[in-house]
Amino acid sequence: MGVPPPLKEWENRIMNKLYSRKIHIIVFLLPALILFCGVLIAPIGASGYFSLFDWNGLGEKTFLGFANYRELFTSDEIGFLKALGNSLLLAVFSVFLQLPLALGLALTLGKKIKGERLFLSVYFMPVLISTVVIGQLWLKIYNPDYGILNVFLRSIGLEKWTRIWLGTKQTALGAVFVPTLWQYVGYHMLLLYAGVKSVPPELREAAMLDGASDRQVNRYIVLPYIKPIIRISVIFAVTGSLKSFDLIYVLTNGGPLHATEVPSTLMINMLFLRNRYGMGSTIAVMLIILCFGFALLISAIFREED
Amino acid sequence: MKKILCILLAVCLVFGLAACGKKGDGKTHLKLWCIATESDANRPAYLDAIADYEAAHPDVKIDMEAYENESYKTKIKAAMMGGSSEDLPDIFFTWSGAFLGDFVDAGKVQLLDSYYGPYADAIPEVMLANTTYNGGHYGVPTTFNIVAMYANMDMLKEVGWDHVPETYEDLIACCDALVAAGKIPFGCAGKETWCVTEYLEPIIIKTIGYEALGKIFKGEATWNDPDIAKAVSTFQDMINKGYFDPAGIALGNDEVKANFLAGKTAFYQNGSWNTGEVDDASFKSAVALFPVMNSSRSSYDQTIGGPSDALAVCASSKNLDLASDAAIFLGKEICHYNYLNAVGLPAWIPDYDTSSLPALMVDIADIVAKCEGMVLFGDTAMSADPANTYLSYVAQVYGCEIDGEGFVAGLTKDLG
Amino acid sequence: MRNSSKLSRVLIYIGLIFWMFINLFPVYWMFTFSLKNNAEIFGDNVIGLPKHWLWSNYTSALGTGNMPKYFLNSAIVATATIIITLAVALMATFALTRLIWKRRKTLNKFFMLGLTIPIHASIVPVYVTLSKLNMLNTYWALIIPYSAFSLAMAILVCTGFMNEIPRELDESACIDGCSVWGIFLRIIVPLMKPAVATVGIYTFLQCWNELMFANIFISESALRTLPVGVQALSGQYTTNWGPIGAALVLATFPTLLLYIFLSRKIQESFMAGAIKG
Repeated sequence: MGVPPPLKEWENRIMNKLYSRKIHIIVFLLPALILFCGVLIAPIGASGYFSLFDWNGLGEKTFLGFANYRELFTSDEIGFLKALGNSLLLAVFSVFLQLPLALGLALTLGKKIKGERLFLSVYFMPVLISTVVIGQLWLKIYNPDYGILNVFLRSIGLEKWTRIWLGTKQTALGAVFVPTLWQYVGYHMLLLYAGVKSVPPELREAAMLDGASDRQVNRYIVLPYIKPIIRISVIFAVTGSLKSFDLIYVLTNGGPLHATEVPSTLMINMLFLRNRYGMGSTIAVMLIILCFGFALLISAIFREED
Repeated sequence: MKKILCILLAVCLVFGLAACGKKGDGKTHLKLWCIATESDANRPAYLDAIADYEAAHPDVKIDMEAYENESYKTKIKAAMMGGSSEDLPDIFFTWSGAFLGDFVDAGKVQLLDSYYGPYADAIPEVMLANTTYNGGHYGVPTTFNIVAMYANMDMLKEVGWDHVPETYEDLIACCDALVAAGKIPFGCAGKETWCVTEYLEPIIIKTIGYEALGKIFKGEATWNDPDIAKAVSTFQDMINKGYFDPAGIALGNDEVKANFLAGKTAFYQNGSWNTGEVDDASFKSAVALFPVMNSSRSSYDQTIGGPSDALAVCASSKNLDLASDAAIFLGKEICHYNYLNAVGLPAWIPDYDTSSLPALMVDIADIVAKCEGMVLFGDTAMSADPANTYLSYVAQVYGCEIDGEGFVAGLTKDLG
Repeated sequence: MRNSSKLSRVLIYIGLIFWMFINLFPVYWMFTFSLKNNAEIFGDNVIGLPKHWLWSNYTSALGTGNMPKYFLNSAIVATATIIITLAVALMATFALTRLIWKRRKTLNKFFMLGLTIPIHASIVPVYVTLSKLNMLNTYWALIIPYSAFSLAMAILVCTGFMNEIPRELDESACIDGCSVWGIFLRIIVPLMKPAVATVGIYTFLQCWNELMFANIFISESALRTLPVGVQALSGQYTTNWGPIGAALVLATFPTLLLYIFLSRKIQESFMAGAIKG
């Protein structure tokens, strides 16, 4: 705008003064801080405190120091490391199977293909269905006697491939992973698709003029451009896997024989079935540390690459 | 978009305000939390008992909320841990033994001794034993159940049996005949481990006897008993011989029960609360106990069972006297209707006409009358943490992850 | 060259259609089995359209429990959560991007912690707090925790949008004598309209599915939300699949119908979050 520099400076100073008043800062931040600290931060503090005790949630507390943490990592009976392993495995599948699939779909649909909108709409649909509904639906799909999966295998003569999918230790984890990964492909696809669409057309055209193939355009133009979104997707995929709960709770609740246990199911188990409130809090604290640690780690890896 | 949001906001406010409205009927309201959901066999008894109570006390209203079994455990514990009197019910359903014991220890439950006065002759002391802590009565039994082995007599007849096998050898012979005829003898829900204990515990009690098992559950004796390993091996032999429906491991109890009622399996061993449903099945049914395994330590007339369901009163209730009297009244009446509906045995001495009982219920009552010893279900008798350790070993037994020795060694190491 | 590109195009379409089939089939199956009886579901007619359209399944699903009420409860909770999240996040974002003070970068990072904290980790302390505030068994028992857990994402998205509003607008309003509130309400908020839809969608996805809080914080059946209701209903009809299917359809189709009408808008808003965040 055509404002001369000295006047501009003066305007700036007035506004800076207005925008620096403490009372405004406090008033604007207060609701968020109350909500955030009251519901997220204070409970973490409480969990941290209770994790140092042997407590059933009702009676006397016994101070233990870090014994809960030691037990968590050494006890085979609790099986925390195995549960953690399961959720990390889910994270691996999520990053190396779900995300590439989502990225592939996003890149394909980003090329102005016929039916783009239809595909996009259908792929995003599972994200909008309630997790409990998806869980109940897949329970029916996996039902050993009447489930569509075993019925299908039988009908094409693969009788010997039929399994008790959610009841056998060897298949349960895989059977739980499939709907978990399936539900959120659309979520990541749409995130990445947004990125693909935001690539300036000039960049793409210039590369095409230089004779780059589709694959080369994707590799050298699109992917570097959408890297920040890929980073967010990876963080969501990994922390989402560590936090996963609802679908597993509905499908197996950690069974059979703890084969599908993840830290969240273990935590709820400790809190409400075994009355070990101290140990449940310990798992809560570990989960938060892990989620946060992985988010930092992933950010660091992406920064390293730049 | 904006319009939609505005409408939704308006709806939201209206309902928000509606939810704040007070119940202005001038009655005293007592909150009752229980697990008698619409599919639960206990529900009619609860509704009838509440109707009776409200008829006798026109100025009191019982507000019953029913929750699904597993989520109820979470719910009542969260409420006990953190809830104020506003958020706790006045009367709540509880399992006897350690489940209620934890709440009693924390001072959350009202002592009922002084309210039991008028009922002294209506209930035998032994029925109160599982809700008695430090000599005080804290619970009101609503029913009493044993583990029973139900049989589909039509199916047994097809393979040449006209009675339920009463010795282990006969049972094996009968199962072999069933398997040979392409039928499945047993169904057992692996998704709910308590259903597995309904098979395993009777086998254990029929091997080591009720006195020994009772001591182990109470923590007074060690799990280190070679006969327990033998009992576990017996159970696993039956699994390996194909006596159990392999699909059962992924199913819940309702589905397994439905399989039995639909004639897919020949036997179903579970709590006696199923009697009414089995009696209504389209086939001829019979009931028996699991046969004796080791007659030097046990006998046929022993079983797993006891009054495991009860009502209790929250110490935080604002109407303690009223709630305590109501709890005892309701417990007694629920027990009464449960017996007549054939979903449970009477913990309270029947003071009503029982001539219309289904034949199957009469058979179970006879079994109980002959009973010389009983042990409460293991997961009810033990406190929460050891109970879940125990259940996780039981699940491993059903999945054949560990053998009898492993079961005994593991439990001895973890629970002593 | 031409042939191979044609071939690859066909292959791409086969892949896309296959994935579309995988996404649609479970929903189709759910819809058809909600109208069948067990005999058809279990053998006679597993994947075809129902032979006898058994609408009575819907009557049973509506009769036990109270699906419309659960749906309404979920809608109320979701709407209120979205409104509160939005209001709080807009204010906080204004302070974080416009107002001038020392530690605002640090505080922004502090809020971003919320992206990684698992909701279940705070269950019992939150229960105790809500109980002390006498809020259990009201819609607030869900609205407040859900808002808190949606806040981080909302601030992230709003920051992206708000940074794009030129500061010159603030300056000229300031010269015209607007107070801070005036600038916020008259200049910033109206320009943040696109963010409203975006935050709305992310918040909706966060709170529509939640099961554990909804189960523990609400005891009155009249206030139950959809996930709790569906879970309870499925427990009651374990062996009779028709009514379960009907309940699942009832729980799903209103959202899906809305999605079909608004899909472009929803997708665009969702995508805006990806770019701005």
